[in-house]
Amino acid sequence: MSKKSRKLIRATPVADAAPEPDVVEETVAPPREFFFLPDVEPLDVDEKQLHQEMKVWRHGRATRTLGQILQDSYVMLFSLVVVGAMITSAVLRAQGEVAGCNTEACASGRLLLPSATVLACFALALGVSRLFGPVLASAAEGFWLMDAPISRKRLLRGRLVPPLALAFGVSGLATALVGALSGLSWPQVAAWSGAAAFGSAALVAFAASEQPRERAVVIKVLQALFGTAALAVLLVVVSVAAGWLPASVVSSAGGLTLVMAGIAAVALIALAALLVTTVARLDQIRRARLVSGGSLVSGMQGAMFALDFGLIRDILVERRMAEKGHVRPTRGRGLGLGALIWRDVERLRRSPSSFLGLGMSLLVPYAADALRMSQLNPLLSGLALVAGLVPFLGSLRVLTRTGGLARSFPFKTAQLRTAAMAVPAGLALLWGLAATPAFVGIASTGADRPFVDGLIVSLITALAGLFGAVRWVTAKKVDYQTPMMATASGALPPGLIVNLFRGIDMVALITAPLILGAPPYWSLAIAAVVYFGLRGSFSMDELKAEQEAAQRELAASKEAQATKKIPRPTR
Amino acid sequence: MARKTPVLKVTNLKKAFGPVVIVDGFNLEVAAGEAVALTGRNGAGKSTVLRCLIGADKPDDGTVEVNGTRVSETNPEIRRDVATVIDDLDFFPDLSVVEHLDLLARAHGIPDADTAVDEVLHEVQLVPQSGQLPGTLSSGQRRRLALATAFIRPRKLLILDEPEQRLDTEGVEWLAERLAAERTRGLAIVMASHEPVLVERVATRVVRLGDRAEVLADE
Repeated sequence: MSKKSRKLIRATPVADAAPEPDVVEETVAPPREFFFLPDVEPLDVDEKQLHQEMKVWRHGRATRTLGQILQDSYVMLFSLVVVGAMITSAVLRAQGEVAGCNTEACASGRLLLPSATVLACFALALGVSRLFGPVLASAAEGFWLMDAPISRKRLLRGRLVPPLALAFGVSGLATALVGALSGLSWPQVAAWSGAAAFGSAALVAFAASEQPRERAVVIKVLQALFGTAALAVLLVVVSVAAGWLPASVVSSAGGLTLVMAGIAAVALIALAALLVTTVARLDQIRRARLVSGGSLVSGMQGAMFALDFGLIRDILVERRMAEKGHVRPTRGRGLGLGALIWRDVERLRRSPSSFLGLGMSLLVPYAADALRMSQLNPLLSGLALVAGLVPFLGSLRVLTRTGGLARSFPFKTAQLRTAAMAVPAGLALLWGLAATPAFVGIASTGADRPFVDGLIVSLITALAGLFGAVRWVTAKKVDYQTPMMATASGALPPGLIVNLFRGIDMVALITAPLILGAPPYWSLAIAAVVYFGLRGSFSMDELKAEQEAAQRELAASKEAQATKKIPRPTR
Repeated sequence: MARKTPVLKVTNLKKAFGPVVIVDGFNLEVAAGEAVALTGRNGAGKSTVLRCLIGADKPDDGTVEVNGTRVSETNPEIRRDVATVIDDLDFFPDLSVVEHLDLLARAHGIPDADTAVDEVLHEVQLVPQSGQLPGTLSSGQRRRLALATAFIRPRKLLILDEPEQRLDTEGVEWLAERLAAERTRGLAIVMASHEPVLVERVATRVVRLGDRAEVLADE
């Protein structure tokens, strides 16, 4: 016993002798009849005050001061400032250089690329708005606040600001960047980025005004229109650069600048009008609709902290499928692994939208060749194909993310993975064949290879894209049990860093010999090794399990021999 | 009477997560036509034992044999014989209920997959939901689908972790009847359960586990 404990015991007053117990009459508690029910009319609630109160509670529970946060993240802030300054300087220099280019291809690209970005921003703003709400509330707010008889309008008014600001900022910046890099003059950059920023914000406001009605048709149609237009403009850029279309199809810069300025002005007026309508309707948004967007954001935030982009995609796919709800069942074909492959073939028919991404990825090799980037073409096109093929690897993703489903099938890991890769491999082969002209050379300034060489490079690029996509969907979650890595931003699990590059690493590895000018068989050899690794032939867990089993067998046989009686020699 | 050859034989199974020992020297033999119910309080190690039995968790020591073959998750022959229903079953988000069962039946080489799927769908009462995607099923319906995946495939041993979870009263009754029929057909069953109806009507042996999966009673 410690000294302190002894002291405490000594200090405790000795209890006096217990007094004689008084005879207390036992009272029986009357049966409880009262349950809390206010007998006065409730007062009106001031939502602003309620919100303020919640803020005060949270303020008292912060575990770190602002100073501490800044101290912890100074390296990141410093890096951001330095990298931002470098990017700005590079953009300014590039803008100056590109503005000096007066060829027809430069002139068309200068006007069309920023225009395509504006249209893509519009489509993206509508798509993201439809996905999240755009007005949303967290699950906790939905349960604790929305249940009370308070005005949702006052609570949600502030929620309109972040999506609008995000649409405005991201679209404006992205278009300004593309415009400057394309060589537009600064007033033109302002016109294009203004059109993108105000237009995107107005479209988000429009989506918010439609949210109470839960009517997505108009938004879907608009999104498809803007997306298709962006794609068409990009096609024109490639066609002009490749010489398939005359540069005269592009109108004069002055006219287009005025159009963009006009779009910005109209969008500003529309934004103001839509905001008034939307705020008036905020009370009518259903709680379930608000909370579903909030849950989606919180799920995606969690995945983002682990840089698990695969999980983010899983969340989105689950949500889309839950919205779809029902499909017309189709009968399978074949037995064994064939049944699994046939189901993937059926999936192609069920999700034709996935082909859009694959088709768009096919534009990249042609664009890269037309824009004089034939040296980097395998890498760029391979990366584009990764994005194009991921939607076709849903089966592999589900079979590798948890062991439960894979365990239901009577196949080895390598067999399962190979079967799940079969259909995407077929698509990659078709992609390789379709992209061959881009690697042979379509523009006078692009690649200049014999047909067979171009075909080989194209097929290697397709392999790189396929294996990059397989690596992306099969990568394991970040393991926080492993020893952490010391970094300037604190301790990080090694898997977190690797997560950023998964997929990209395979493409870079396989296409590196092509970019460096080495013979293509190097790429093929690397691809073969990568394939055996990805199909699970070199699974460390499995190899370790087999090794352990062999060691156990050996130990058991040794033990059995040791205990065996040695027969006595007979005379 | 000579004891039947065990379908499942577990010898000196040990499993720890870091410094915490969950299973410490668990032994079990289950013969064909025998149904063993593992009972015990929460945290006794029932689920960990079951996960080790199917190779989902790697034991630190000890052996698990099914029909004389060492269990390993990488051995597809074991997967042919052992049907499991534990909590980590995932579903393809874009395949309907009936398509999941069809795929599984065909993957296991069942020649008349259509009839098998139809029969099992009726049995688990998911016919109205046959075209639904798993994301839209209720938790009880998802459980029924998970059970259906075990009943549509060839099996010699059924391993179930609290199969009664999220089932309604009727569902538990049906499950008890079905598992009893499986046992009568000569299948070996090992299940962890807190449901008295299942334990009483299905189990031929009840193994009560204490801390670290210590066998307190085997009756």
